[in-house]
Amino acid sequence: MTGPDVLPGSHVPAPQAGDGPLVVACLRIGDLRPAVDPLDGSVTRDRWGVGLPPADAAALEHALRVSAAWGGRVVGVCVGPRSVEPVLREVAALGVAVVRVPAADEADAHRYVTELADDERALARTLLAAVRPFGPPDLVLCGDRSVDRGTGALPAYLAHELGAAQALGLVALQPNGPGALLVERRLDAGWREQLRVPLPAVCSVEGAGVRLRRASLAGALAVDGVPTPVDRSLEVEAAGSPTGDPGSVHLGPTRPYSPRTRVLPPPEGDDPRLRLLALTGALVAHDPPTVVQPESAAEAADVLLDFLVRHGYLDAVPGGGVAPSTGDPTA
Amino acid sequence: MSAPPPARRRWDGISFEERMATVDFRVGARAHIAVDADVCRSCTTKACVTACPANLFAPTADGGILFNYEECFECGTCYMVCNSEGALTWTYPDGGHGVVFHHG
Amino acid sequence: MPEVLTFDAVVVGAGPAGAAAALALARAGRSVVLVERGPFPGAKNVYGGVVYGRVLDDIVPNWWEEVPVERWVVRRSTMMMTGTQSLSVDFRTDAWGSAPYNGMTTLRSHFDAWLAGKATGAGARLVASTVATGLVRDGAGRVVGVRTDRDGAELHAPVVIACDGVNSFLAKEAGLLPRAEASHHTLGVKEVLDLPHGAINERFGVQDHEGVDMEILGCTREIPGGGFLYTNADTVSIGVVVSLPQLAASGVRPEELVADLKAHPTIAPLLRGSSLREYAAHLIPEGGYDTMPALASDGMLVAGDAGAMTLAAGLWLEGVNFAIGSGYAAGRAADRALAAGDCSARGLASYRTDLESQFVLADHKRLRKAPSLVLSDRVQQRYPGLLCDLAEGMFTVTNPTPKAGGLKLTRAAAARYGVSLRQLATDTVRGLRIFG
Ligand SMILES: Cc1cc2nc3c(=O)[nH]c(=O)nc-3n(C[C@H](O)[C@H](O)[C@H](O)COP(=O)(O)OP(=O)(O)OC[C@H]3O[C@@H](n4cnc5c(N)ncnc54)[C@H](O)[C@@H]3O)c2cc1C
Ligand code: SF4
Ligand code: SF4
Repeated sequence: MTGPDVLPGSHVPAPQAGDGPLVVACLRIGDLRPAVDPLDGSVTRDRWGVGLPPADAAALEHALRVSAAWGGRVVGVCVGPRSVEPVLREVAALGVAVVRVPAADEADAHRYVTELADDERALARTLLAAVRPFGPPDLVLCGDRSVDRGTGALPAYLAHELGAAQALGLVALQPNGPGALLVERRLDAGWREQLRVPLPAVCSVEGAGVRLRRASLAGALAVDGVPTPVDRSLEVEAAGSPTGDPGSVHLGPTRPYSPRTRVLPPPEGDDPRLRLLALTGALVAHDPPTVVQPESAAEAADVLLDFLVRHGYLDAVPGGGVAPSTGDPTA
Repeated sequence: MSAPPPARRRWDGISFEERMATVDFRVGARAHIAVDADVCRSCTTKACVTACPANLFAPTADGGILFNYEECFECGTCYMVCNSEGALTWTYPDGGHGVVFHHG
Repeated sequence: MPEVLTFDAVVVGAGPAGAAAALALARAGRSVVLVERGPFPGAKNVYGGVVYGRVLDDIVPNWWEEVPVERWVVRRSTMMMTGTQSLSVDFRTDAWGSAPYNGMTTLRSHFDAWLAGKATGAGARLVASTVATGLVRDGAGRVVGVRTDRDGAELHAPVVIACDGVNSFLAKEAGLLPRAEASHHTLGVKEVLDLPHGAINERFGVQDHEGVDMEILGCTREIPGGGFLYTNADTVSIGVVVSLPQLAASGVRPEELVADLKAHPTIAPLLRGSSLREYAAHLIPEGGYDTMPALASDGMLVAGDAGAMTLAAGLWLEGVNFAIGSGYAAGRAADRALAAGDCSARGLASYRTDLESQFVLADHKRLRKAPSLVLSDRVQQRYPGLLCDLAEGMFTVTNPTPKAGGLKLTRAAAARYGVSLRQLATDTVRGLRIFG
């Protein structure tokens, strides 16, 4: 196997094995708005639609931030046909080393890529094989799901192949000392849960919370016209057993949201229709919805908070603030 | 002679939202066009409302204009037909963002 | 201090004008950077759909062997229509169906990317996803570069070529273009419709890679303008081009005009069963030669739509060819100025003389009155009806009543549309002078 040639970003020397922690961003570059046939699920991709999906862009931004905090290096890896090169070059312009795993037959690239994507375990192995020359990854990041029929299963396969801990669907991610990450995940009803994830880890992130930085002009110029390096070692290595025991993820202090049951008195009378009416509250006069027209955004926020406090969803805190209600809003 | 085909109804069957849904917009974080609704309140032509091919200028009940920058063709029609100084601040979206035509 | 990168020349806009300018400079061995705000060349660009390739003969020999083409135009049809009638002048020639060809339909994401690829292939540097936000000037007011939206970094060069299209904020900032005047612009709205290759061949009477180019007058209600319909490989492009101030005053939405055209009894059967692939809009500079700006100032040249070099007055839509011609000429003039070490307006003056001798300005000069004639009330509102009525009168079989004579029919039709025969004759002569 010949190692990939690396397209050096203009600012960062090409990463060598053993150069500080390695953060890998798996990028699913492709048509951002593929047409999915509602009947048979087949996907039609348009090469002019190629771009970095928001979740992948967020993964890359997190990768840059985490590796900066660790003094590490970032490698971007992607399986795709030649048409993804301009996007991969924009990634390289950020000082990220990039590798592309080409389609076996570039002319029929879409089919190959589709097949690979259909078998996410093979995709996971292919991606990891392509970054192996850089050394063992400390953190692998990817988007939570691809835009074209993605299942979100790739990170789980990646974690399995690497023997790494996993945390999926994250909205925030920061280093927590050298060997761990503190991450946040969305729960229902606006709640978030905080997790402490040991390394090595595979994390998938939502396309939210962070925006990918733009490359500098010098960075963009440095990569113009440079072909992105291609990993020619297409053979997927035999399925070895996972390399180690994944560390365990610790749940931080959160209070998962669980709506309280609302107790209604049994309706009176025998007439089923009346009982039903009483239960559902149909035909009972209600206050019409209030339309408020606040002058400014600040005023609008006050009005909304006020409403939530009045209805018991928030508690007013002395000093003017609010906090999530500890009571039962329906009481 | 048979009745003419209901061709018109068929074409009118494409709603404006469907029409705009065919276009690839890579929305940037910055609003590249800003409308000063105060200036618009005293505008009698409301030329932008008719002419903007993306139909982004929505007149409000108080005579102002509600504008969303996300689905803009970046064509320039609005600032050209607008005669009121200062109503529009018009720039291109940040590089790489905004509309991407596949079949221009 | 912003980051500064220095080149021999900076070209703004990777449309056909910018790509051609960068190609000329790169071929001359100059270091040149091409700045494009879209994620790839062509991403921001919309046109009707036909590129006339003659201009490429000298620039890319045998271009037809490699250009991304949808169909080769072998039929050109000019149509006048009223709500219920249409009259076409249809020209077809096999000569246009083989090398060196005449016109081709192609899409801008394909074509612009191809032409920009020629420039980078010759050594030009391309930075996409980057807006040139303004000019950089030296103490004497000469243009010495552009500022970009990548952290305000600057690209410096003795000469900047603004190929930034119809809105050209750079040409305006340089004082070369006046403040935008709605009356010198038309708005083009276009729909690309999916239609199977075979259906296009059958309905438009062509085969294989042959295509049709239709320009239409009289399809824009009371708004001056025209329509177009072009065949691509397995899509068709249909749209209208309308005068901006009159559109704004009309209260008619642009997409309504396209819907009208699509529903016209002559057009609807051609499009039956098609579905919308993409809706798009773009402005066209329409003033003609008389509104063309000065094309050079100290350290700066303007080419293509940025210099209002489009011929688009209802009956034609040509601009890509002029953009390529002017862009290439600008690139060569910049190279000469660099060689002479004088990039002042005087040093760059060979650009204009070059253009005057070429088809670019020659055509615009010859057709300088065309926009006002084609967009005139008579041509727009009355002639389509008049001609359609005339044709209907001629072709309607009325026997046993004898057919009215040609002159009588003309007089009757002319009277119905409020045009005097003298007026008709004058416009015909004017038209022949301009186009003949
Ligand atoms: C509806 C319509 C139909 C048409 N039909 C035809 C036709 O059938 N045939 C024909 O030949 N012509 C046609 N034209 C005209 C033709 O499209 C133009 O004349 C031609 O595109 C001009 O080329 P250009 O390179 O000057 O400008 P453009 O093609 O507009 O290119 C300008 C480029 O500059 C970039 N840019 C702009 N500002 C900046 C900035 N500040 N920083 C970085 N980049 C920037 C843009 O993204 C763009 O890529 C039509 C036009 C329209 C609108
Ligand atoms: S943007 Fe201009 S044209 Fe539109 S309403 Fe405001 S002032 Fe009038
Ligand atoms: S630039 Fe064009 S599409 Fe965008 S708001 Fe103005 S008129 Fe509408």
